[in-house]
Amino acid sequence: MIKKTLFVLLLVSTNCFAQYYKTYDWSAKPKMHSISSEEEKEHSIGILKKYIVEYTSDELTSDLKQYETTHTITRVNDEKGIGQHNRVYIPMYGVKSLIDVKARTINSKGKVTLLNKDNIKEVNNVEEYGDFKIFAIEGVEKNSEIEVLYTVEKEADLFGSETLQGEYKIKSVQFLYITGDLNSEIKAYRTKSEFETVLTDGKASRLLDIKDMPAMIEEEYATPNANKVSVVYQCFPKGQKITQDMFWTNVVNNIGSKIIPEEVNSKAKADLDLIINGKKDLSNYEKIVLVDNFIKTNFTVVKNNNDELSDLNYILTNRSASDFGILKVYANYFKGLNIPYELVVTSNRFTYKFDPDFFIPNMLRDFLIYLPEEEKYVSPDRIEYRVGEAPFNILGSYGLFIKEDYGYYFSKIVQSDPDYSHIKRIVDISFNNDFESATLKQHTEHTGHWAVTSRAILNLSTDQGIKEYKDYLTGSGIEDKVIDSYEIENEEMNQMEYNIPFIVNSTISSESIIEDAGDSYLFQIGQVIGTQSELYQETERINPIEMTYPNQYDYTITVDIPDGYTVEGLNSLNINKSYESKSTGEKICKFESSYKLEDNKIIITIQEFYKSNEYALNRYEEFRTVINAASDFNKAAILFKAK
Amino acid sequence: MKNLLLLVMMLPFLGYTQDYSNEDYIYLKRHEHIKIGITKQNFEITKQVEEQAEYLTSKKLYFANEAMHFDSFTTIEDIEAYTYIPERDSQIEVDYIETKRQFDNGIFYSDQESKIFTFPAVTKGAITNLNYKEIIKDPHFLGLYRFGTFVPTKSSQLSIEFPKNVSIGYIDFNTNNIGLDFKQDTKKDITTYTWTANNIKGYQGEDDGESMLYHVPHIIVYIKSYEYQGKKVNVLNDVNDLYKWYASLVDQIETDELEKVYKIADDITKTIPTKKQKAEVIFNWVQDNINYVAFEDGLGGFIPRSAASVCEKRYGDCKDMANLLYEMLNHVGIEAYRTWIGTRDRPYTYSQVPTPMVDNHMITTAIIDGETIFLDGTDSYVPFGMPSAFTQTKEALLGIDDNTFKLITVPVQPSNKSVTDVRTFISIEDDIFKVSEKRLLTGYEKVDFITDYLYKKDTKTEEEFLNTTLALGNNKTSYNNIKKENFDNKNTALELSYDLSIDSYVKKVGSKLFINLDIDRVLSKSKIDIEEKKYDKKIDHTYTKNFITTLTIPDGYSASFIPETLSFDNPNYGYTITYSQKDNTIIQNKSIYVNTLRIEKQDFESWNEFIKSLTKAYKKSIILEQNL
Repeated sequence: MIKKTLFVLLLVSTNCFAQYYKTYDWSAKPKMHSISSEEEKEHSIGILKKYIVEYTSDELTSDLKQYETTHTITRVNDEKGIGQHNRVYIPMYGVKSLIDVKARTINSKGKVTLLNKDNIKEVNNVEEYGDFKIFAIEGVEKNSEIEVLYTVEKEADLFGSETLQGEYKIKSVQFLYITGDLNSEIKAYRTKSEFETVLTDGKASRLLDIKDMPAMIEEEYATPNANKVSVVYQCFPKGQKITQDMFWTNVVNNIGSKIIPEEVNSKAKADLDLIINGKKDLSNYEKIVLVDNFIKTNFTVVKNNNDELSDLNYILTNRSASDFGILKVYANYFKGLNIPYELVVTSNRFTYKFDPDFFIPNMLRDFLIYLPEEEKYVSPDRIEYRVGEAPFNILGSYGLFIKEDYGYYFSKIVQSDPDYSHIKRIVDISFNNDFESATLKQHTEHTGHWAVTSRAILNLSTDQGIKEYKDYLTGSGIEDKVIDSYEIENEEMNQMEYNIPFIVNSTISSESIIEDAGDSYLFQIGQVIGTQSELYQETERINPIEMTYPNQYDYTITVDIPDGYTVEGLNSLNINKSYESKSTGEKICKFESSYKLEDNKIIITIQEFYKSNEYALNRYEEFRTVINAASDFNKAAILFKAK
Repeated sequence: MKNLLLLVMMLPFLGYTQDYSNEDYIYLKRHEHIKIGITKQNFEITKQVEEQAEYLTSKKLYFANEAMHFDSFTTIEDIEAYTYIPERDSQIEVDYIETKRQFDNGIFYSDQESKIFTFPAVTKGAITNLNYKEIIKDPHFLGLYRFGTFVPTKSSQLSIEFPKNVSIGYIDFNTNNIGLDFKQDTKKDITTYTWTANNIKGYQGEDDGESMLYHVPHIIVYIKSYEYQGKKVNVLNDVNDLYKWYASLVDQIETDELEKVYKIADDITKTIPTKKQKAEVIFNWVQDNINYVAFEDGLGGFIPRSAASVCEKRYGDCKDMANLLYEMLNHVGIEAYRTWIGTRDRPYTYSQVPTPMVDNHMITTAIIDGETIFLDGTDSYVPFGMPSAFTQTKEALLGIDDNTFKLITVPVQPSNKSVTDVRTFISIEDDIFKVSEKRLLTGYEKVDFITDYLYKKDTKTEEEFLNTTLALGNNKTSYNNIKKENFDNKNTALELSYDLSIDSYVKKVGSKLFINLDIDRVLSKSKIDIEEKKYDKKIDHTYTKNFITTLTIPDGYSASFIPETLSFDNPNYGYTITYSQKDNTIIQNKSIYVNTLRIEKQDFESWNEFIKSLTKAYKKSIILEQNL
């Protein structure tokens, strides 16, 4: 009997103390791994990237303990590959202690250089990222392998996440999740590989083992950083089991109780007089605009560690707030003006895909306020946005919507006005001095995100940035363009009227847009629409298509045909490419251009639109055809011949 | 008459300076007062900084974020900061200041830190006030004061007070048009120099310009010497003292285990016959094997690490590589010197500025058979014999021995050292332009291509990279059989070849084909916006580009129009394009040269004439007509 008890005790103590990282090690005698001749051409190749996350319970207190081991072996083939891997940054955010760190290099001749731990430097409070330990890898040459192995004990948290994919190919990626007898959840994104149940030193574990993970590459109309293979996990204190609903309810109560006021703060009430400023008969929309404009011209959203930046009284006095604290200001003003609102917690779709089915705090990154009656959003910490649609980097993300009564729901953040972002341009073209030059009179109206971007650049950018933008606004790609006149309207950030267009009127002239071709003149009419992007695809498309935002262009270009000339080559102006919905047959995006001749004038109309910002990956080629159609038009030229 | 002159002098001043209607934010005041004290031989130096700024609009509230930088040579003390709201006559104090670090792409580890805070309650009309004291721990680092900054400044002032046993030097730059006033005042034993300038416009950089130090009015003050026990002790009286100080730092380089370094030098040069070839092998070895990783940590930022440890770790910064080259070269019998130099970003000479502000870089200079060769190990692809492009025109300070140095100006490399040679064969198949092209790149043309390929390509495919950098034909150009040879730091030309197929390029109208042979339109986007551009245009290096393009006329066609010869000639830049017909081919010869590192403002018109002429020449098409 006594023997048996001892045995059980022993077992328990093994469970508690022998964390796996203590026995996990790199190989005593390292040797170079062989790689293929194709892999030798890459700047670098991951041989191994392994993460071990282990949760245990403290024997006495039952508190969670969390350890993370990172082990990488990377082959570097050239200077760039070395530069990408010879500097190691270990984030210490949420780290209790750095238990061990070691690194070594094997060069192509087999010489091993070990990191001298005295050369590890501490860098504290770096921007918004916290503390780091950093070191440079020693002894690395071309065609070496760099091996890094370290373990940290973290301030135990119930959640975590890890991005597994890199910008370079990795031959073996492993994520080992050791939780023993604790309840836990784990989920992997964007991989077909599945977790297998394994035992690690007798403890229940799950292992994700992925071979030959390709590099994530930059692609146009994509969110590659948010599309990397990654895992998220949860682990609960001994004997507990927490559902996703419980987590979300907790978050809602937590955020709701901090932000949503029961009574309007007295300082905020005083501000309301300044905001409304005696105006009568204001619509709710107008009140919201006044609030948003007031906050964005009187408050600064600050990123530092000052806790008081989320204290409402401090915020209202100092007119400075954290991105969280500023929500309290909106909530108080809206409450004071009886404007219904919902808080929205979401994430930037270019960095993280919000997942309502698996809670981790890491994805609660961005805050919006939704105005259900108006179907519009306010972006509290975005100085460039005013009441309207959600910022483009949030559009399409899922969000957690919290109502004033703490009720909540998840919804995709969509655009409510399908025609929000639109460019309308009218161009009248005439020729001077027997085709020596062309003059373009242009009137352009921008709405929606186009207008937001234009106003932001013109109001907030540097001289250089504004100069470059003026070039864009007056027609890019015409090399010898001379701007004869340039006027803008409605460029102020604060506007009362909903989606009022930002207007540019300009007159430009160019000689190079006309080519002298013996007895006739070749006019590069396509250049009038500006340089158009071209989508290349030599390799298979990886990322689903996500545009910046739905948008539409309508151009009317009128060309005067000078007396005594005829025109040829107009057929190149007829282009019609579209992408239709498989279910409804409706055109979701298209580029269509055509011309007609009227009284010695050529009148060209172009309509290009993208009604959705998401397109199916398997229909990439059709999407590409539409995008490239604009680039085709940009190459169009017509010939003027003397009669 | 006297009055009139005064009025004329004042006019331009009054003209623009009072008008801030286009500004969102200006400095009402930027004052710095340096106080120098000395006890025996120990300096006590403080700099009192006072800044006051006004928000003329509420657009750019982000200016409320303030940062004061310091490092191991300085500390920041007695910070007093508040916002004043004139409308309500209220003052709101800054009550939270944090010390932060930043990661820098170029410097891996730096001891620089920042005190950061945000001014509260800024909005239109708000006036922010910041006063603080900077303790300067080393008398070599009094720094630099800018009279102008990125936004206008109403009152700009630097003053420096010092006891009579201390002597101060100063030199100002770009101050001709700001009405700089200088006053000297001596009370008891203390002398104060004060420089004041009012209504200074804002200065913002331009992407294709020299660094702002070429334009911003500024002044550098420094301690020349002090008297101690009746003797004059120099600090930075002139470049001799600067060098003496540098030499004293270099004396602290650890020299343990140098034999390991010598062994490498011996091993890689033992079969090499001449000194020059040995030097090349050593230079290439350092370029290839030592990775650039920079640490800036106190005086460690000025003292190279031991050559042996750099070899062992296989990384270092400019001074580490410079010292390693120095050791290796001297060991194999090549005369070589550690060399201090400012990159083109620093517009100073050593005689003007005898302070560490003058330079920011270190290289090695070898003298072989009377030839001076500058070796910059940080530039991994520059061929042996050429200095790094960003050190051209700059004064190099060669450390000969503890007391002797030599100043040599790094010469501008002639345009025949950086050449792009392009041979192009073009045919037309089914209205598609088929091109076979080979490019040979030497000198800086090669360095630039490799650097862009490595660091601007990202994860783009080679095709997309070439499409966006060479921009041949149009952006529908497809590339096949891309090959590159000699992708290295040797003196042999980089060879780049590929086949192109260009859609929508041949213009077919009726029975005519319009063929433009200028698929490479280098410089066509280089027109200067004379009204907008404020400062001289910077050119990184001189170059020559030669093109020979051969078009095979497709069967059934003959040429009905061939453009005439066009050219533009100026000592600094120009081009020539000629066409000739031979059998069923048309050959275009094109050569473009740029022989200067800077286009000055007064030459903008001429430069634009060059670009306009070139762009026009690029537009000339050959017309082929179907034979009847």
